[in-house]
Amino acid sequence: AAAATAAAKGNGGGGGRAGAGDASGTRKKKGPGPLATAYLVIYNVVMTAGWLVIAVGLVRAYLAKGSYHSLYYSIEKPLKFFQTGALLEILHCAIGIVPSSVVLTSFQVMSRVFLIWAVTHSVKEVQSEDSVLLFVIAWTITEIIRYSFYTFSLLNHLPYLIKWARYTLFIVLYPMGVSGELLTIYAALPFVRQAGLYSISLPNKYNFSFDYHAFLILIMISYIPIFPQLYFHMIHQRRKILSHTEEHKKFE
Amino acid sequence: SKHPDPFHTLREVEILDAKTREKLCFLDKVEPHATIAEIKNLFTKTHPQWYPARQSLRLDPKGKSLKDEDILQKLPVGTTATLYFRDLGAQISWVTVFLTEYAGPLFIYLLFYFRVPFIYGHKYDFTSSRHTVVHLACICHSFHYVKRLLETLFVHRFSHGTMPLRNIFKNCTYYWGFAAWMAYYINHPLYTPPTYGAQQVKLALAIFVICQLGNFSIHMALRDLRPAGSKTRKIPYPTKNPFTWLFLLVSCPNYTYEVGSWIGFAIMTQCLPVALFSLVGFTQMTIWAKGKHRSYLKEFRDYPPLRMPIIPFLL
Repeated sequence: AAAATAAAKGNGGGGGRAGAGDASGTRKKKGPGPLATAYLVIYNVVMTAGWLVIAVGLVRAYLAKGSYHSLYYSIEKPLKFFQTGALLEILHCAIGIVPSSVVLTSFQVMSRVFLIWAVTHSVKEVQSEDSVLLFVIAWTITEIIRYSFYTFSLLNHLPYLIKWARYTLFIVLYPMGVSGELLTIYAALPFVRQAGLYSISLPNKYNFSFDYHAFLILIMISYIPIFPQLYFHMIHQRRKILSHTEEHKKFE
Repeated sequence: SKHPDPFHTLREVEILDAKTREKLCFLDKVEPHATIAEIKNLFTKTHPQWYPARQSLRLDPKGKSLKDEDILQKLPVGTTATLYFRDLGAQISWVTVFLTEYAGPLFIYLLFYFRVPFIYGHKYDFTSSRHTVVHLACICHSFHYVKRLLETLFVHRFSHGTMPLRNIFKNCTYYWGFAAWMAYYINHPLYTPPTYGAQQVKLALAIFVICQLGNFSIHMALRDLRPAGSKTRKIPYPTKNPFTWLFLLVSCPNYTYEVGSWIGFAIMTQCLPVALFSLVGFTQMTIWAKGKHRSYLKEFRDYPPLRMPIIPFLL
């Protein structure tokens, strides 16, 4: 879910999320004020740059090592920094400078942050898994396109290529990311169970127990209803947005 | 009736689908003083699958629903009224939903209390806890839900008859799920009684009992505000019952007392899931209280300014 929900966002001046934004841009919406717009442009440019750094880091590490295994370590820090930084997007929705649902945005960002910190960072043994590379690549490409999309939208100059990329590449990137995420969680399971990671058992004075292993399995199961819904929503958005643009181009 | 009288001419009503504008029904010879409820009944005759409770009729396809009590001739329509219909989906009565969502926790908690097989290890089947507080907690939890069931049957006066069917699944998952989660830990063989022992339990019990009485007092006061069968709304005021004096400070003291009861229960059992349930319930009730408070302010010019929605002076 984390991989493609980032792709599954509507467009809009401030970067609306899936289902919230106006597709064609024909409706005159009251966007964020000039100060908020300037801030958002800076934010989106910085994020685009950050994910480009991660992309370049991956390529350089691959060329240096000669293999695609264990590339995670070479981009670990910028990945953590820029993905965690995306938490700001929840704030943007909460204060209203971005016209998206706080709940939807929180869900999307939290699932990414969860994967980075509560799975990959916490279970060191999975950091050398190839599945990590799978979702990192998916996220990197998706985010570079997404943040540049927002940047251009805010500046009211969105190249069709970026719009096309945003609403097309997800078709491959979303399943790719989801696969990487699921495989990574799955790989982490035995280590979580063995170490009793983040788990608490009875008896204790707050009469509470938590089995992180079982929780991770539940997370994996939750992909089953969530993934198809988001995927088909994006397909639907794609038809709406890309066909609209074709019509508009006729009148230019 | 031989003399044409403009105030008593029979009207025509056409009902169109709000989305497709398709003409669904044409009623002629409708009495001008007919209510929307009566029109809904007429509409059901031609479309029996849309019983009145699931009909939303409005003057504008995107406008607000008309009320059942609204009278045709008082609406801004000509001799032929055009109403737009939206299907609200399958409906279920509030009473049914309340009874189901409250009976579940009552029953489920007892399954855990009696340690029915397959919940805890087999050596614990049908055993009994050695902690007094566990028995007390069962009494309190059961009392709470029996009270709710009785209030649903005999006390509450509902302004709406029905709600969408899917709500019952959502609501029951919430109530039944949390009840099972709490009951599992409280009745667990490895349950740890409260840190401060009998003192803590006594204090918690006092809070619980006071809040249950308070909550009941508010429900009775609200019932007395509204005569049977009516849908009138009035500002609630404190009565002779001291528990209702909380109306001086909050709009929805029933929610205040409800949160208080669960806080009491959490302290009594010293169980984190109970605290979490209280927190979630508090969040939801705050949203409802703020909504109710807002509608009171909108409807009544002279609404007491000191009152807050749910927590005196704060929230």
